[in-house]
Amino acid sequence: MLDGFIRGLVYVAIALGLTIVFGMLRLVNFAHGAFYAIGAYVGLVVAQQYGIVWGLVAAPIAVALFAVVFDRVLLRLFYDREPTAQILVTFGVAVVVEETLRLIFGGTTRTFAVPDALSGSLNLGFTQYPAYRLLFAVGIVAIVLLVWFFIERTDFGLIVRAGIRDRTMVQLLGGNVRLASTVIFALGAGIAGLVGAAASPIYSVDPNTGFSFLVPSFVVVVIGGLGSFWGAVVGGLIVGELQSLTTLVFPAASDVVIYIAMALVLIVRPSGLFGESEVIRG
Amino acid sequence: MRRGPAAARAQRNADLRFYALTLLGLVLFPIAIHPIGGYPGLATQILLVGIASIGFNILLGYAGLLSYGQAMFYGVGSYVALLCVSRFFPQHPNFWVAVVLAVAFVTVMALLIGMLVVRLYGIYFALLTLAFAQMFFFIVFKWRDMTQGDDGLQGITAPPLALGFATIDLTQAFPAVNLGPFGDLSDVHYWYVFAALVTFAVLVFTRILVRSQFGEVLAAIRENEERSTFVGFDPMRYKLAAFVIAGALCGLSGALRGLYETSTAPDALTVETSGNFVIFTIVGGVKTLLGPLIGTGFIMYLQNVISAKTDAWRLIEGVLFVAIVVFLPGGILGSFRRKAPRALLANAVRVTPPPGEPSASDAQSAPHELPR
Repeated sequence: MLDGFIRGLVYVAIALGLTIVFGMLRLVNFAHGAFYAIGAYVGLVVAQQYGIVWGLVAAPIAVALFAVVFDRVLLRLFYDREPTAQILVTFGVAVVVEETLRLIFGGTTRTFAVPDALSGSLNLGFTQYPAYRLLFAVGIVAIVLLVWFFIERTDFGLIVRAGIRDRTMVQLLGGNVRLASTVIFALGAGIAGLVGAAASPIYSVDPNTGFSFLVPSFVVVVIGGLGSFWGAVVGGLIVGELQSLTTLVFPAASDVVIYIAMALVLIVRPSGLFGESEVIRG
Repeated sequence: MRRGPAAARAQRNADLRFYALTLLGLVLFPIAIHPIGGYPGLATQILLVGIASIGFNILLGYAGLLSYGQAMFYGVGSYVALLCVSRFFPQHPNFWVAVVLAVAFVTVMALLIGMLVVRLYGIYFALLTLAFAQMFFFIVFKWRDMTQGDDGLQGITAPPLALGFATIDLTQAFPAVNLGPFGDLSDVHYWYVFAALVTFAVLVFTRILVRSQFGEVLAAIRENEERSTFVGFDPMRYKLAAFVIAGALCGLSGALRGLYETSTAPDALTVETSGNFVIFTIVGGVKTLLGPLIGTGFIMYLQNVISAKTDAWRLIEGVLFVAIVVFLPGGILGSFRRKAPRALLANAVRVTPPPGEPSASDAQSAPHELPR
């Protein structure tokens, strides 16, 4: 149950980035999993040298910088192209990142050890649970609340939300939508990078990690509703629990069940549980 | 459409030229690939995989639907064909039965999945096809009794090809004739001839299909779905048909590749495989008949040559793909033909909004737009 919750939280964090980027830039980012993987490897390398705290600092910064460069150099050319072209270019970049990581770090699976101070477990009254995982859970909840506060309660968030509604109008009123887009893109990427680094003591890392977390995260945002903040949160928790509960009941189906759930949601309610806009036209 | 006799004759000549050149290319391909570092077996593989790309292009190029799940048809096709030989009819394995049953199974599968997915647009379509492909991947991966899980099906010799008057062992080679720099004719197996004939048939079928009324309606739907419904067409039916045809050709490709390799594995159903069909088609030239085949050949050939020298092959492939998406959206073939129609369009069509207007202005409806 708790394991499912933790896994769900990882999905929440990745899906959160996907969904705010989709909301703001109308971009479905197949390279979002690559951000997670870069974060994991940067965290791994820095943590080995300077300790895990610096690893967790370096990972989101490095990934956010990478995202800004990616946005400015490549994605810029695709803002006015059709959505499928955006999928293609981000998919291509995801392949490039994955293979670069494989060349640098090799194809083998890596883990990094939980720091000694956190390697124990805590008594929660009803069960014993590893301290690192609990801290991880608290951290992600904090990130979700911070992002929510940032978007819903700050002036900058106002521009972001308005930009989602009507880009041109915000531009006419003097809001810098361009800057807001880049910040949101970097923010979503940074979160993915941070979670990549923070989650790698729990789940091992290999160059494929990006895609293996990306695909379930797509399931999450589709179930929750593309572009919906709380949709990503609820969807992530649902998918995490669904996976771990099925593992208990019928292990063979644990990987299939989330795709069945996604297909059902798309067929019955194509805009997702929390999606507002109509997906089906015509 | 009514055409004058002169136009009809010109059309017929163009058809003949196309068929003759394609046949010539298919005849020369397995020996022409030798001096540049390939081998005839690679040519066979390229054609067999290329069939799936040609089919996928009907969906992506002509119907404008980006599927990220073609691997499920390809992979399931290979499994059904091999299971027909090793498990369903071990007493009387028959090449045709294996292929026909595999294609039939995949066609039904594509029909059922298609009825669910063609209602969706753009990214939602891509993501739902991806989800279905993952579903089938895990089914194949976990159903060990039937599929042997991640070991895959190994060492299943394809039965000989029964033609009524003769029975041909496709693994048999041509007689030895030294061709100098082009290797030896005995390097070419009958498999290549069979693959070339099937590829040619698929090309002819696709060419007729996209030039028929069906193809024209499909293009009309891609360009403006709403308008096509006003004219009285039901877009869902046409898209479903395109989806099923693409799926069936993918299944055919998978079945033949499986029989050729005498093995298959869950790899055939991964996201990577689905992505490969996208890469092949885009690199070669979407919306062109031969583009997907050329893209498949180009990438598989490069992979063969480069991966022998360095581990960085897939990195190079990724960079190449991104470069093509950015600089040559029409692909290798498309870049040759692009100029003329573009200049025509620029003069003729002024109904599209002027370039200054940001197309993302209508943010709510932007993702639902059909690919332009």
